[in-house]
Amino acid sequence: MNTLTGDHERRLATAFVSLADTLVDDYDIIDLLDRLVGHCVALLGADAAGLLLADNRQQLRVVAASSEDAELMELLQVQAQQGPCLDCFAAGEPVSVPDLSATRARWPEFVAAVDQHTAFRSVPALPLRLRGHAIGAMNLFGHQPGPIRESDLALGQALADVATIGILQERAIRRGEVVTEQLQTALTSRVIIEQAKGVLAEHAGVSMNEAFTRLRGFARGRNLRLSEVAGQLVARQLAPEVLSSGVSDGPDTRPR
Amino acid sequence: VVGVAERGAVTRALLAIARDVVDDRQLAERICRACVRGLDVDGASISLFTEGESREILWASDPVAELLEELQFSLGEGACVQAARSGCPVLVHDLRHSVDTAGWPMFAAAVAEQTQVRAVFALPLQWGTANLGVLDLYRIRPGGLSEANQRDALDAADTAALMMLTLRTGPDIDGIGWLDPGLFSRAEVHQAVGMVLTQLGVDAPEALARMRAYAFVEQRLLIDVARDVVSRRLRFDNNGPDLTQVGRHPS
Repeated sequence: MNTLTGDHERRLATAFVSLADTLVDDYDIIDLLDRLVGHCVALLGADAAGLLLADNRQQLRVVAASSEDAELMELLQVQAQQGPCLDCFAAGEPVSVPDLSATRARWPEFVAAVDQHTAFRSVPALPLRLRGHAIGAMNLFGHQPGPIRESDLALGQALADVATIGILQERAIRRGEVVTEQLQTALTSRVIIEQAKGVLAEHAGVSMNEAFTRLRGFARGRNLRLSEVAGQLVARQLAPEVLSSGVSDGPDTRPR
Repeated sequence: VVGVAERGAVTRALLAIARDVVDDRQLAERICRACVRGLDVDGASISLFTEGESREILWASDPVAELLEELQFSLGEGACVQAARSGCPVLVHDLRHSVDTAGWPMFAAAVAEQTQVRAVFALPLQWGTANLGVLDLYRIRPGGLSEANQRDALDAADTAALMMLTLRTGPDIDGIGWLDPGLFSRAEVHQAVGMVLTQLGVDAPEALARMRAYAFVEQRLLIDVARDVVSRRLRFDNNGPDLTQVGRHPS
């Protein structure tokens, strides 16, 4: 028991350090958010996690997801214009959903779509917020119904807060308004990363999930920015062969 | 409960632009005019920064707007150049504030010497890695845009990028093609573009053009075509699209 706790704490410390590490001057927002959803899955007992950021019209868009399933869950909320992430974003407060099937009356379209497309049952949501203003929200997804532990929820919020500081960075905090510039960059990077996943999936005949794992492994193993590697693949300045070896490239720095 | 902001006046004006525009230049003129009319700015221009450093002013609302572009082109630096390179909006409230202009001191000095301009807002028009141009706005009076104005300007830039992309990638599908929001928000469309560009050995806009042309001919939605590509039911090769399996997806 003791060793388990010790291990958990060590992993926790590593998670915060790795998020803080990305906050150097030339960091990559998508990489930061990807690490965040990865840590949530590894540390909070969630089966998957996804993250939405608001664009300049306050419309939420998916920017990071630990798997294609999680991405689909976020998309379903955006399409239905309802669900825990949207409520969480609107209120700037966590929304706890231990069992989705008990929320049919609250989000009928969303729950129906989830039943049809995915197997997730519990979907707590945490806001990404600065000075009471939400800039996005993060969902943790579980296949089994049941409440998430208070301590895990608090930890998830702490991770989300660190990531929020990363997104807004010092410029936004200085001028209070430049948030838009950073969010715009994150949304554009997302397009490029999806295209790069397509390049790799086609080249190596692998799934989008696997394509992303390779892309991320390659970028992290070489200390490159995820969106830069993606951009080079799409612009065909980097041959997909380089990433196509099934073996993991470089040290695996994924959260464990 | 969720308050998606209303579209602003400029974005609405852009959405109302009829599909009779024939080229980038004409479209740029309409976009710039809508910006000057609807935003708290004095002038607007749209320039292209293509690969190989070739540059072109598509349209400028007045001689000052044109001068700002020419200065940036000749100096090789400025808000617009920064926006084009970084793909990130550059919003400068006051050109005399050195922190904001640290990246392009020569341009800031030239503007101060030759014009009365104090605020510039450079918004990249882009789609993924494809840089379609930069929308440049300027104002004589220093200060930022109001929150509503800023939201409208950024939304208008997104819309303008979508229009320029559509204009370049060919046919539109009745009423949807002109401004298919899937071009910006749907992961499957982007993933399919990556697959098709690999299949054909072309760049991303060309891959998109091929997918759109196919959707047009087949009278299907782009998103459905994209899903077929991602699920490997549809491949493109240089002889045209190829449905690899019998199971055509019911759309």
